[in-house]
Amino acid sequence: MTIGIPRALIYWKQPHFWEDFFEELGFKVLLSPPTNKEIVEMGVTASDPETCFAEKVFFGHLLWLDGKCDYIFTPRLKTNKEKLEYCPKFFALPDLSKMLVKTPILTETFDARKEKFEKTLGRFGRKLNKTPRETEEAAKVAFLKEKELKEKEKEDFLKEMEMKERKIVLVSHPYNLYDDYVNLGVKEKLEKLGAQSIFIDEVPIDEIRSSKSKIRNEGYPEFHWEFGKEIMEKIDRILNYGITGALEISSFQCGCDAVLKEFVEKKFKENKVPFLYLLIDEQTGEAGIQTRLEAFMDTI
Amino acid sequence: MKPIVTFARWGNYTIAFKTLFDQLGLEVIPPELTNPQTIAEGVKVSPEMYCFPLKVTLGNVIPSLRKGANTVFMVQNIGGSCRQRYYGVVQEKVIKEAGYDINFLDFRATPKDIYSTIKKISGVSTWQILKAARFFFKKLNLIEKLEKIAQFYRPREIEKGITDRILSESFSEIEKVDKEKDFSKIKKEILKRFSQVQIEKNKKLPKIALIGEIYTVCDPTINYNIESKLGREEIEVHREMDITYHLKKLIFPWKDWIIQRKINPYLRSTVGGHGRDAIYEMLNYIKKDFDGIIHLLPFGCMPEVTVRPILQKIHQKSGIPFLSLSLDEQVAEAGINTRLEAFVDVVRNYHQRRKRSEASAA
Repeated sequence: MTIGIPRALIYWKQPHFWEDFFEELGFKVLLSPPTNKEIVEMGVTASDPETCFAEKVFFGHLLWLDGKCDYIFTPRLKTNKEKLEYCPKFFALPDLSKMLVKTPILTETFDARKEKFEKTLGRFGRKLNKTPRETEEAAKVAFLKEKELKEKEKEDFLKEMEMKERKIVLVSHPYNLYDDYVNLGVKEKLEKLGAQSIFIDEVPIDEIRSSKSKIRNEGYPEFHWEFGKEIMEKIDRILNYGITGALEISSFQCGCDAVLKEFVEKKFKENKVPFLYLLIDEQTGEAGIQTRLEAFMDTI
Repeated sequence: MKPIVTFARWGNYTIAFKTLFDQLGLEVIPPELTNPQTIAEGVKVSPEMYCFPLKVTLGNVIPSLRKGANTVFMVQNIGGSCRQRYYGVVQEKVIKEAGYDINFLDFRATPKDIYSTIKKISGVSTWQILKAARFFFKKLNLIEKLEKIAQFYRPREIEKGITDRILSESFSEIEKVDKEKDFSKIKKEILKRFSQVQIEKNKKLPKIALIGEIYTVCDPTINYNIESKLGREEIEVHREMDITYHLKKLIFPWKDWIIQRKINPYLRSTVGGHGRDAIYEMLNYIKKDFDGIIHLLPFGCMPEVTVRPILQKIHQKSGIPFLSLSLDEQVAEAGINTRLEAFVDVVRNYHQRRKRSEASAA
């Protein structure tokens, strides 16, 4: 049995975890290819014109997978380990996917407020006709691999921070940062202009602080969104390292970023770090981004 | 600093809110009526990507700040996961950046939080707060009742435009009443005036339901007076959304459970705001033999945009005419009018066709 996983949106919240999990359980996994023009076009025509660009890309990947596998995996992510909510658009993804494709959708609701992630995983395993033991083993392997990746990321980050080049922080959601087609290869472009880009996602946070700390957050509200808290905490941390500039990337019509941008911008301005805000959508041109990046690099 | 209060405008209900603060002994400068100038002013200061109601309410509040108000009330967390939760923080930030020194009261919509905020700012006794709340609900109920009556009267009136005239007269009268004991007399007078309007009671008319985001559905200044526009085209308009509906849902959670059970085939989770309610209402109106559904939302509203594909699916399945209107500062009234006219034609055809098929079946 083949399980398809769209390489977009929620995939980037836990990259590689679901692949490892399903492969360990003995399923074949079909991952949709990196985003390309065809996928974006499919997604844009199929989805509601006012929804965010990231979701349109997700539906494109979904349509690419349609008919190529037995099931498409689309989890309903509601809250994370810290009991903070995901974007409300994630809540309806399985329902909207069901309407869009003919391939059956494989789904499970992950709500840490009601049930632990591991426990939900066990229930999900039973749905796939696997014993709790098998599921547990598979999850263990997947978690281990995920942890290794994180460790490696941390090492890389420390190495990067030691380099002498100018450093630019890219603030955005993982699905914008890691998808080179969506962000028009900002990382590469910055490298060509002689700057090193650091993804906000790579910044490690102190374990003590992340686990329900009572430290009062300065200058931003208490977000009920997981990314809100995470991004703001990571910005606090990266500011200690001395960076030359910051760049925020939002997908057009991202409702959460409208809130977040206010406080991200304020934070950087208070610390006198040059800040550039880029909006991306299906109509963004390479040339426009290039010009803006060049101008930004000239100012710093 | 003596508090001079202003607050976000919300359709005809603003009158009731003003009374509430008046009765608490606070000085109130009511928010400016929404018009293109206030909208432009709000848009100028607010974040570009934010949803429309934030910009509109900012535009209403800023003129009254210029007139001397120094305390702004904003309620947060109206519908769960949506951006409304951050209206308070963002508006406070934006107003302070615009150079106004204000006291911003951002409170959660729970009875306890509302009570403690009011108690702190006004310093009156609990008895007085309860009395003010009772008067507030009396006014609110009457306003909502009049809105419902007007929806029924407008398409049936013999002298054109009389319902809207009486309605606006009544609202200004309700606004003027400041003693609770005079209220029942005024109420009787207003209801009597409505009962004297001549209408064709037994006329069978096509019916349209308004669903969607609560602020755009309820505020006639935002939705370009859609109710009276449709009324003049001889169409009966219905809507379920109003403050009472919303408050009931806050206090009694089982309404949400019922809604979730009914919409399970389409959506199995909340999406924040009133996303689920839109689906539930649409299914309900189809069952009640309506002839058209208009879905109103601010441009890019997260919950409503998420459920819109589902609404469209229901529309395709059932064949009921469906129109979705996204409103923001760039929408022009002429555009809305054209779309409404075309939609009204579709609705009339649908109504006629159904009437004919019913007649032939009988």
